Amino acid sequence: MLRWKYSRPLLAILIPLLFASPLLGNNPLSHPGLQQTMAVAFLYGALALTYDLLFGFTGLLSFGHALFFASGMYLAVLFINHDVLVWWLAVIAAVAITTILAILIGSASLRTGGITFAMVTLAFAEAGHVVISRNFGGLTNGENGIALNADKVPGIFIGVFNTKYLFWISLGTLVLVYFITWWITESSAGRVFAALRDNETRVAVLGLKPARFKLLSFVIAAGMASFIGVVMLMVSGSAAPRFASSDVTIALLLMVILGGAITRWGAVIGGIIYSVASTRLQDLSQSTALHSVPKIISGPLSEPTFILGLLFIFVVMFAPGGLSGAYYYLRLKVISKK
Amino acid sequence: MDTFLLIGITGIGLGALYFLVASGLSLIYGLMGVLNFAHGSFLTVGAFVGLWFSSQVMHVSNTWTFIGAMVLGGLAAGLFALLVERIVISRLYERHIDQALVTVGIALVVGAVLAGWFGNDLRLLPTPAWFINTVTIGSAHIPVDRFLYIGVALILLFANTALLRFSRIGLVIRAGVENRQMVAALGINVRLAFSTVFFLGGFAAGVGGVLVSAYSNGVSPLIAGSYLIYGFIVVVIGGMGSVPGSFLAAMIIGIIKQYANYYSPGLGDFVVVFLLAGVLLLRPQGLLGKVKA
Amino acid sequence: MNVLSVKDLHVKINESHILHGVSFEVPTHSVTALLGRNGVGKSTTLKAIMGLYPSQGVIELNGSSIAGKLTYKIAQDGIAYVPEDREIFSSLTVKENLALATRDEKDIARQELVQALFPELTTRAAQRAGTLSGGQQQMVAIARALVNKNEIILIDEPTKGLAPKLVTEVADALGRVAGETTMLLVEQNLPLVKRIAQHVIVMDQGRVVFQGGPENLHDPEWVHTMLGVSGGHN
Ligand SMILES: Nc1ncnc2c1ncn2[C@@H]1O[C@H](COP(=O)(O)OP(=O)(O)O)[C@@H](O)[C@H]1O
Ligand SMILES: [Mg+2]
Repeated sequence: MLRWKYSRPLLAILIPLLFASPLLGNNPLSHPGLQQTMAVAFLYGALALTYDLLFGFTGLLSFGHALFFASGMYLAVLFINHDVLVWWLAVIAAVAITTILAILIGSASLRTGGITFAMVTLAFAEAGHVVISRNFGGLTNGENGIALNADKVPGIFIGVFNTKYLFWISLGTLVLVYFITWWITESSAGRVFAALRDNETRVAVLGLKPARFKLLSFVIAAGMASFIGVVMLMVSGSAAPRFASSDVTIALLLMVILGGAITRWGAVIGGIIYSVASTRLQDLSQSTALHSVPKIISGPLSEPTFILGLLFIFVVMFAPGGLSGAYYYLRLKVISKK
Repeated sequence: MDTFLLIGITGIGLGALYFLVASGLSLIYGLMGVLNFAHGSFLTVGAFVGLWFSSQVMHVSNTWTFIGAMVLGGLAAGLFALLVERIVISRLYERHIDQALVTVGIALVVGAVLAGWFGNDLRLLPTPAWFINTVTIGSAHIPVDRFLYIGVALILLFANTALLRFSRIGLVIRAGVENRQMVAALGINVRLAFSTVFFLGGFAAGVGGVLVSAYSNGVSPLIAGSYLIYGFIVVVIGGMGSVPGSFLAAMIIGIIKQYANYYSPGLGDFVVVFLLAGVLLLRPQGLLGKVKA
Repeated sequence: MNVLSVKDLHVKINESHILHGVSFEVPTHSVTALLGRNGVGKSTTLKAIMGLYPSQGVIELNGSSIAGKLTYKIAQDGIAYVPEDREIFSSLTVKENLALATRDEKDIARQELVQALFPELTTRAAQRAGTLSGGQQQMVAIARALVNKNEIILIDEPTKGLAPKLVTEVADALGRVAGETTMLLVEQNLPLVKRIAQHVIVMDQGRVVFQGGPENLHDPEWVHTMLGVSGGHN
């Protein structure tokens, strides 16, 4: 783990700097374009962190995490647009209902374990995706998604001129999720999660119910994901079915593995880099540099998932710690040389 | 009545396609504990090789061309699966989570390569002229391709069953699904069985890929998506490692899905997931699965 | 001459150190009993020899090292294993269970030997092994080890959980086998051990604490201190 000794001063400088940067004269983060990109990236960093809690810290390979993200998003937009609840109550209700949904789905899925659990969560999430994208019940507007009705939320949540507010809200969400995750994983429940990952029988022998702790981790991660979904609704201005697809969960897996699991900051960095890179790789694919290369090579290279997939295979097979693992490895080498 | 019959038989045909995907997933999981996300790529590889054969090699789309496409698609996918097992999976022996993750990576890379080469648009797979015929049962006109899917699935079910029941390697596979370590303790190299199930699973998925392309009127890197997920659901409901269980579950799911979708579009997926939840609550080992020791 | 010799064997599973340097020999054409209270590491020792658990230390079969080899190669080298919970393949028939284990199908003499030892298995050849009684399942497990010509058979608590009548049956079978082959037998049933074992090894807390002849088994006090059971009668 990144020790407080190192991270506390670093974070104490970095976070206020990030918060202040939209106001600090002319710098990259004073432009709405990058603010928007970074707002999205912060949210994916936070989402990846909740997935790290589930997969990295507790050892639950869930393929259904996107469902809770999307559920928060859709419930909030429905409550707000249809005047069911005032916006801040809608946010609370969206998170609360998603948490209950997570309890139900978690209880059913956790009757299985390991690899079967992965399959089952995938199936549940797919059902959610279908419900949303097929406009089941006529509520979700199918593939087109639902735009957030701008009149029903405070102005700071809307529009290009207010991007800096969204930037702040996203950064705040990331910081909040980071501290909640930090607090949980360092708490006694967090130690139980870690023990579950390493050796379930040992936890059972201590008289603790493994199933209950797994469910706790599952539900906490889902609850936070739903809140991040609500914030994503503000940032992107609409709810869309792509947020519910298993592609999102697979992307989360890539973020956590590439960034490095069980280090918290690895998942956050992984999420931020992935989010920014997938926008940038898209640009690269349209770049002219590739035109001179034969299609048999340029074709795959123009697909962002080609490089990411290869990198992912490489990391899983040969460098299981990912980015943060490599950092600790190098630091250990430097320290032992001294 | 005729709509009822048409939907039912279409459902069985769809179930047959699910079975082609699920049988391999189930054996691979049952024997090796590998959750194979790359199985959808096997299907896609089979579909593209089938497309290549029917449109580039052969210039008439008759029955033989189609059979050739299925066989070649199956073989290509089987060989690809074999390579995946040998080069990647076997290096992560007993690291089940990593094996699952690495298959996710393979699926991404294969999808990207095929999309980069051919784009994501549907390309028409040439089919024999009789594909558009219908068979009349009572007053119902049932497209003849549905029977083809059912027939191919049955042939593969029987071939699979015969191999498992009567051959030495089949004996090793059945024993290995139950208790792999004990098979090794009897002096048997289980790795050969691993490669065999990957090849067989890949073959069935490849054949399935050609049929799926015929059913959905075209080939694209994206056709495998929902079949893979349904394959997983079939495996869980049918019971891990049980090929007959997969067959039973695939049929049930295909039929239920079609009727539910007829009643209200989109309802099918929903009902299937409820079925899955029910099975998990009442019988977590699946319909024909065994509780592992 | 020793068939099997184990020196300084260590096994760690998930950070817990289970065997702390186990050393012993199994002489040729003998029955060697491996005794000890529950949880001292007897089963773990057998599994480590079979390569089913990773271990450190020396394991030699007829003088050549088998440590670190793959399980199936160890078995092919001539070590048969009858595990504690029998682990027969319950969905396979009796015949299939035996066919799976048979490495040399032309060795008719061996198959006849097995048939002679366990005539009941021949009559139940087509029955699924999972539907057999506990005693019959144990017969299958032992027969599976006997269908091949082996250097040594490792047998883990073959009479565990069996009704007294079946214990006698299994014991008789083992007694008849004992003359033919070398055996390392883990067993709680002392009368059986006294009847067939020529050597005794006692383990405690992951170590060997005694290695010698079976005479001591007739001394109740020794048995009580070594094995924690009131000795003699069982
Ligand atoms: N797979 C395992 N994981 C962790 N501990 C184990 C495992 N198998 C056995 N043990 C522990 O190792 C010790 C020895 O077990 P075992 O070899 O089965 O003893 P015995 O056969 O002498 O009764 C016991 O304390 C047991 O709890
Ligand atoms: Mg034991």
